[in-house]
Amino acid sequence: MLDIKSLMVFYENALAVNNLNLDVRKGEIVGVFGSNSAGKTTLINTIAGLTLHLKWREQRKGGQRITIVGAQLFEDEDIGKLSPSERVKKGIVLCRERHPVFRDLAVEENLRLGGFLIKNQAKVKKSIDLVYSIFPPLTKLKTRKAGLCSGGEQEMIAIGMALVARPKLLLLDEPLLGLSPAMQAIVVQALKDIRKLEVTVLLTEQYARPIMPHIDRGFIIENGTLIMSGTQEELMDNPEVISAYFGM
Amino acid sequence: MLLESMLVFGLVNSAILMLMSFGFSLTFGLSGVANFAHGGIYLLAGYLAFFLLRTLGLPYLLAVIITVIVTALLGAAIYRLVVIRVRGIALNEVIATFAIGISILELFRWLGFITYEFSLPCIVDGRLTLFQTTLDYQRILIIVVAFLMAVFLWALTHKTRIGLALLGMAQNEYTALSVGIDSDWAATYSFALGGAFAAIAALMILPLGIININIGYEVLLIALAVTVLGGLESTKGLILGCIILGYAQVITSTLIAPHWKEAVYLAAILIVLAVKPSGLLGKFKELEERV
Repeated sequence: MLDIKSLMVFYENALAVNNLNLDVRKGEIVGVFGSNSAGKTTLINTIAGLTLHLKWREQRKGGQRITIVGAQLFEDEDIGKLSPSERVKKGIVLCRERHPVFRDLAVEENLRLGGFLIKNQAKVKKSIDLVYSIFPPLTKLKTRKAGLCSGGEQEMIAIGMALVARPKLLLLDEPLLGLSPAMQAIVVQALKDIRKLEVTVLLTEQYARPIMPHIDRGFIIENGTLIMSGTQEELMDNPEVISAYFGM
Repeated sequence: MLLESMLVFGLVNSAILMLMSFGFSLTFGLSGVANFAHGGIYLLAGYLAFFLLRTLGLPYLLAVIITVIVTALLGAAIYRLVVIRVRGIALNEVIATFAIGISILELFRWLGFITYEFSLPCIVDGRLTLFQTTLDYQRILIIVVAFLMAVFLWALTHKTRIGLALLGMAQNEYTALSVGIDSDWAATYSFALGGAFAAIAALMILPLGIININIGYEVLLIALAVTVLGGLESTKGLILGCIILGYAQVITSTLIAPHWKEAVYLAAILIVLAVKPSGLLGKFKELEERV
């Protein structure tokens, strides 16, 4: 479904993603693990088109020089030159790290914005109801300003927003970052519900333990370079992976 | 008697300030770009309406619609052709838009639009006497339109899909991008809305006097003062700022001398920047200042 071939991303001369190959098949949940500054966010932002947007913006005003090389294929189609909104139309929707919500809008308005590109309002309404069924705590917060919600609730809103956009491929950037173990459990549970919706998921995380049992395959990157990849079992049997990403 | 007329004319004055600054504040609030060409667009709308009404003799409503559409397109063009290239560099945005504003204003001066024949007609003539204060219909209409604009703005941003998207873009650009809202589309839209609002303000306010090039500079100054006073990105703050400045002006001009009222804007900008730089209701910015 998604094929990333020899992807390289430079910020000026600094290499953020180095010759990376990654593929996601339909229906899978794929994890990308790596420490802070390993290039996870750059990778996922590049797939969502945000890096390209930033590159255009910087180019126009003569700022930082960003270089993206390599192939990005989605359903056998080259998406490398598409803007973020065109990629959303194709079905690639990103939920960024640190639960970025529209803080001054109500929870329900946030979710409605997730369906911005869907013209059919009835469909948006249905998707919002679906989000409420995946994250029941949000039902009580409909009219509260998103900025006043807790971190965990904001993460639910952020994932909910991405779901309302009806993704084929959902990109989750560090969905568990900064959440309490109880909240992490809710998000992990939601991941199982999302799989039932036949949405393919590519997620990144620093700490692999809570999420590892739920992924099909994983990629481990360090300093922007892919150092290992494999199925869930292969990764969980590897002592190096266990010591580095399981905290054991 | 004095108090009554101060109350009434303070309200009229507040409404005038509100209309003048809505466009500027809207564009700034939604796209983060201070459009210093606002005064130029305002004056251009005035001359365009004059041309359509007096020279071509079009019916009033048609002239209004054409003027609003043209200024909206002008706003959009300013973003698409100029601001887009310097987006994100605040100083360059200011210089670029200010240069456009001055070009428009001084072009009219150069073309000789400096005589006293330029004025727009009132929508309805006549006046109304309430208790001891006489007020013409145009000023009453200004209050009504200012109120309607505030309601329209609220409804646009909270009830429509596009308005909501513009608000979202203003609050969190990258999240908006990741749900498929295009940032250049949003900025173009907000510039066009700002232009349309400037035209509506010009059509309402200019009939009160003669169209004069310097009004363009004055409008920009007012918009800036009100936005600084009320706090950026806060519509409530904008309205509060207009009421404070509007009454302060009327009070100074009645109690001290009319020419002192011009000093009120500058004093307001200075005091606010010295005491509470985020403005009266600019809560978010203040939070960032604290961190």
